[in-house]
Amino acid sequence: MSDAATGVRSLADRIADHMLDASVLERVVIALVATALALLIGAVIVAASGYDAVEFVSSLVYGAVGNASNLAFMLRQSSMLILTGVAVAVAFRAGVFNIGVQGQFVVGGFAATLGILFAAPLLPNSSISAVPLMALAALLALAAGGAYGALPGMMKVYAGANEVITTIMLNFIASGVVYFLLDAYLRPEGAAAPNTEQFPDYVGLPGLVFESPSFSILGLGVALLTVAVVYLVMDRTGFGYDLVTSGYQEPAAKYSGVDPKRMIVRTMTISGMIAGLAGALFAIMILGYYSDPNTFPTFGFDAIAVSLLAANNPLGVIPAGLLFGGLDAGGQYIGFTLDVPSELVDGVIGLIVLFVAAPELFRAAGRYTSLGGDRE
Amino acid sequence: MSTARTLVDDRRTLVGVLGALVAVIALLLFVDLPGSDLVTVGALERALQAATPIALAAIGGLYAEKSGVFNIGLEGFMIFGALVGAAVAWLLAGGDGITQAHLWAAFVAVALVSGVLATLFAVLLIRYEANQIVAGLAVWFIGLGFGPFAATVLWGGVSSPSLPNIDAVSVPVLAEIPVLGRLFFDASPLVLLTIVVAVAAWVVLFRTRYGYWVQAAGENPEALDTAGVDVNRVRYATVIFSGVMAGLGGAVLSIGIGSGFTGTGVTMVDGRGWIAIVAYLFGNYNPLGTYGASLLFGAMDMLQIQLQTIGISLPGSITGLFPYVAVLVVLVGVGYTRVPSAVGESYDTEE
Amino acid sequence: MTDTTAPAVQLTDITKRFGDVVANDSVDLTLDRGSIHAVVGENGAGKTTLMNVLYGLYEPNEGTIAVDGEPRSFDSPRDAIAAGIGMIHQHFQLVDNMTVLQNVVLGHEPSSRGLVDEQAARRRITEICDTYGFSVDEHLDTPIEELGLGIQQHVEIVKSLYRGADTLILDEPTAVLTPQEVEGLFDVMEALTADGRSLIFITHKLDEAMHAADDITVLRDGSAVGTVDAAETSQNELARMMVGREVLFDVDSAEGTPGEVALTVDGVTVRDERGLEQARDVSLSVREGEILGIAGVEGNGQQELIEAITGMRTPERGTVSLQGRDITELSRRRRIEDGISYVPGDRLEEGLVQDYTLVRNALLSNQTMDAFSDGLFLDWQRIGDHADEIIDEYDVRPRNPEATAKSLSGGNQQKFIVGRELERDPSVLVAAHPTRGVDIGSIEFIHQRFQDMREAGVAILLVSSKLDEVQKLSDRTAVMYEGSVVDTVDPDDVTEEELGLLMAGRARDGTERAASGVEGDA
Repeated sequence: MSDAATGVRSLADRIADHMLDASVLERVVIALVATALALLIGAVIVAASGYDAVEFVSSLVYGAVGNASNLAFMLRQSSMLILTGVAVAVAFRAGVFNIGVQGQFVVGGFAATLGILFAAPLLPNSSISAVPLMALAALLALAAGGAYGALPGMMKVYAGANEVITTIMLNFIASGVVYFLLDAYLRPEGAAAPNTEQFPDYVGLPGLVFESPSFSILGLGVALLTVAVVYLVMDRTGFGYDLVTSGYQEPAAKYSGVDPKRMIVRTMTISGMIAGLAGALFAIMILGYYSDPNTFPTFGFDAIAVSLLAANNPLGVIPAGLLFGGLDAGGQYIGFTLDVPSELVDGVIGLIVLFVAAPELFRAAGRYTSLGGDRE
Repeated sequence: MSTARTLVDDRRTLVGVLGALVAVIALLLFVDLPGSDLVTVGALERALQAATPIALAAIGGLYAEKSGVFNIGLEGFMIFGALVGAAVAWLLAGGDGITQAHLWAAFVAVALVSGVLATLFAVLLIRYEANQIVAGLAVWFIGLGFGPFAATVLWGGVSSPSLPNIDAVSVPVLAEIPVLGRLFFDASPLVLLTIVVAVAAWVVLFRTRYGYWVQAAGENPEALDTAGVDVNRVRYATVIFSGVMAGLGGAVLSIGIGSGFTGTGVTMVDGRGWIAIVAYLFGNYNPLGTYGASLLFGAMDMLQIQLQTIGISLPGSITGLFPYVAVLVVLVGVGYTRVPSAVGESYDTEE
Repeated sequence: MTDTTAPAVQLTDITKRFGDVVANDSVDLTLDRGSIHAVVGENGAGKTTLMNVLYGLYEPNEGTIAVDGEPRSFDSPRDAIAAGIGMIHQHFQLVDNMTVLQNVVLGHEPSSRGLVDEQAARRRITEICDTYGFSVDEHLDTPIEELGLGIQQHVEIVKSLYRGADTLILDEPTAVLTPQEVEGLFDVMEALTADGRSLIFITHKLDEAMHAADDITVLRDGSAVGTVDAAETSQNELARMMVGREVLFDVDSAEGTPGEVALTVDGVTVRDERGLEQARDVSLSVREGEILGIAGVEGNGQQELIEAITGMRTPERGTVSLQGRDITELSRRRRIEDGISYVPGDRLEEGLVQDYTLVRNALLSNQTMDAFSDGLFLDWQRIGDHADEIIDEYDVRPRNPEATAKSLSGGNQQKFIVGRELERDPSVLVAAHPTRGVDIGSIEFIHQRFQDMREAGVAILLVSSKLDEVQKLSDRTAVMYEGSVVDTVDPDDVTEEELGLLMAGRARDGTERAASGVEGDA
């Protein structure tokens, strides 16, 4: 108990320490400016396309936090983005470009689905079975996502195959194969859509705070808990130190006793496990069945933007995930109400990533306007 | 010849790629498929067509990476190219009645627009030293967002209506040659143009001073700098070239060979930009080998149709994965390709 | 018109400062046309800075440069090249996977109808080679990476000549060469001056300077101590000028009292990333309380050997034993835990994480030490205390554990690494070039610590390319040449000259080592 208390206190201390750090401050500023600039460009494009830019921005905000159900939707998207974002952050932090979180997410969700559909008939048909069933689903998702992440890790280590390309290919393959299996073997007789049958009623997370069929505050809790664990491991354990050091400077990591190859595979496995867990959450909390992965939201890709905006810091993933969840919810809202295509928000997210990739651009701008000049 | 070595390299690459092609065919024969039905002139024709967009983007990406910049945004530039091609042709014709002239003008417009976008991208990468992988991914995301967005603004949906494409051109006399005539001289001129581009890219890279500079910029930029050549100018040129080529590759998809822009899912580009990167890796940074690799992936893409024509019906969701699986097999099987040693590092003259 | 009687290059009053550090302090240097001018001095004396000023890489704070009597200012190497100055760097400016011909003509390609005119290039290069006796033209179509360093150096020289260089700067050109190649280089240098070209020859090897040069300028602590005629000076005079009045390196008289054998290397052969055999069938042993020095020209397998000992690299053959226990198969981490400390030669890439604070760097290679964790979690408090200890005891400046590694000077970085590795109480310490790029005060300090460790019974394996360091610290000195230990000697019984001969693959009396079959090993 006291251990946990000191842990929390030192955690708070460290966050405060970090916040005072100039480089952290600079990153926060860059993230905010990048987001503002991208939104501005988005608004200009909206105006140029003949829509009302002011209405666009205000609807975006309303769509995210305007009422309880919008807020629930935003938090739902944020939970997914925080979870997948931290999956990306683990890998990026170690210097491994796991672009395959979407695929690992799809595979993890599918494994969870299989677990639920095949184990449910063996258990009593009542809410007693909910916890064991969901625990089983989560375990299977962790295993499947981890394995699907380890695969490109091994391809990189043993065959020198660039993980950016292999993971993107594996995303396509995951969606294709899962769709095929779903369509061929899991679609109930006579059903038109390639969906599995519904999970038993008792499988799902209780709404508790929000009255939303597809969002439970527990889902957000799972995401935040994962962030906390990842943060503790990265910051407070020898393994985390090894992982982060590998990302900063691999020769130094090797010098200090890290086996670089094993570290890459482990990193990809952990990253894939978290992505798989996100898949399970998606299947259980949001869908309640499983469907054609090609129609899924691209949480795994937006997660890259989330992680980058957070400078791959697990704690930073929380605000970044909330921001992107808001953008996502707002984007979908304007898609319904203003007829502004919701793809616009995807483009804005792309712009944010582009700007975050070039911090030098903002430093140069800062020097030019002498805004950041006093730091020198 | 001072290029004896590159010739040997070329030969090895070509043998590798051709070997892979032959192996695929042999495998099909071995499993007792009616190979003669599978490898028909029509199939080759489709493979050449499918290879064209991949090859264009791959040759562009090859130049950028050879000079030290990993342009991972090829996929995004292809999406923009596909969209701009369809949009310009449609706008020029005022909706209906798109003529061949409109289509060719659209190609020119794609080259210009892609050039502008690639210049902005190059400034971010070279001047502002952006992380090449992240910025390249961003280009993809931007394409995935703004491509379908613009389509919706123009056409009210993420895809364009069905549009005409570039007519096949029949070259008198040459078209009479058996097989080859039909493949190259009674076909889309884009197929032949792409082959010409591949050959020209080879000549420039290995036989001209600009090619020497590109190679040196990626392998030892300091050596090039002290030789009095501005490394970053070389890199600007190649990155812009790669954007233009990828854009044209995208336009080939939408109005060269295809029939309009499709913006559903990951758009009609559907990973071809990524495949292009693997094509030049497989082609060992040799434009001719890269074309061969593109042909291999093009053939994979078309295998589905071919299998259907001979009565083997695999679900589309599975056959559609052939190119991606082929990419993985190539990446893992070919092993480590020698990447130019300065790739990803920005270069400052002042040390 | 250029004045042909004026010196080829005249540097006057050159001063170059980096912040508070004066790297060159009003240095004068006159390079006569058609002569070889050696610039000698210890590491850090300012030789390379001076040449970078002449080559346009640095702008001097004060002073003037005149070429052929005309004042010049260079903004970049391109300006220097245009003025007829060429530089052969220690690290060659060659594109590894391009051919010799392509490298020579790069940036100055003869073209016709848009294509590179290879025939014209070939003729011109052959002409240059014939004039000066290079054999480079035999390899015109070979990629650089397939050639030895000696030939690569010739390619660099031919490249400079192809670009019309009249004055060549050779920066430590013999450091990477075998003795035969050194002879070949001296012949080439003679042929160049006979043709009226002028050379600046940077070296820290006094015998080479005396052998090859016409004039010798000695630099010490950034200043030119004087210029002497090579024919009229002696090694002793030069050494005195280089080192100055204070004799910094008195030979240590305290002998250790070696105990049990701690580290044994038996028949170890190691290959590098490219699959080349770098260390060949090496056997040696180090006792507790003993310093075994390994002397040798860099690149003769020392690095690969110590990587095999410390677990950074797997040897192809042979065994490594620690206190009689075979550890050949143990991971790097296990070897750290079993008491092997390692001060790496590459402190920037390996020894420190540049973006980490000193606190975080204090944990590097200590991750699994019980002292720094309470079971599951790391104890950053204790790690921070440890960083403070290292900073205190090893006089690391600034005294700020939150400073990033990259903000420290080379000497302070090195002291931190030495402190971290020594404070672990190792039973074996492997150190590569522990004082490279370190200021003189820190060198003394580090040497003292090594001697303390020896007193305390640690077995120390010291690799250094500084002969004086090896001579001073070692109880025994093994000399490596082309991957093999050619001899192990008592430093009290050999002179630096004799060691130098061993390092060049010869016997101590200067004869070829016919018996050992060094040639046959190749």
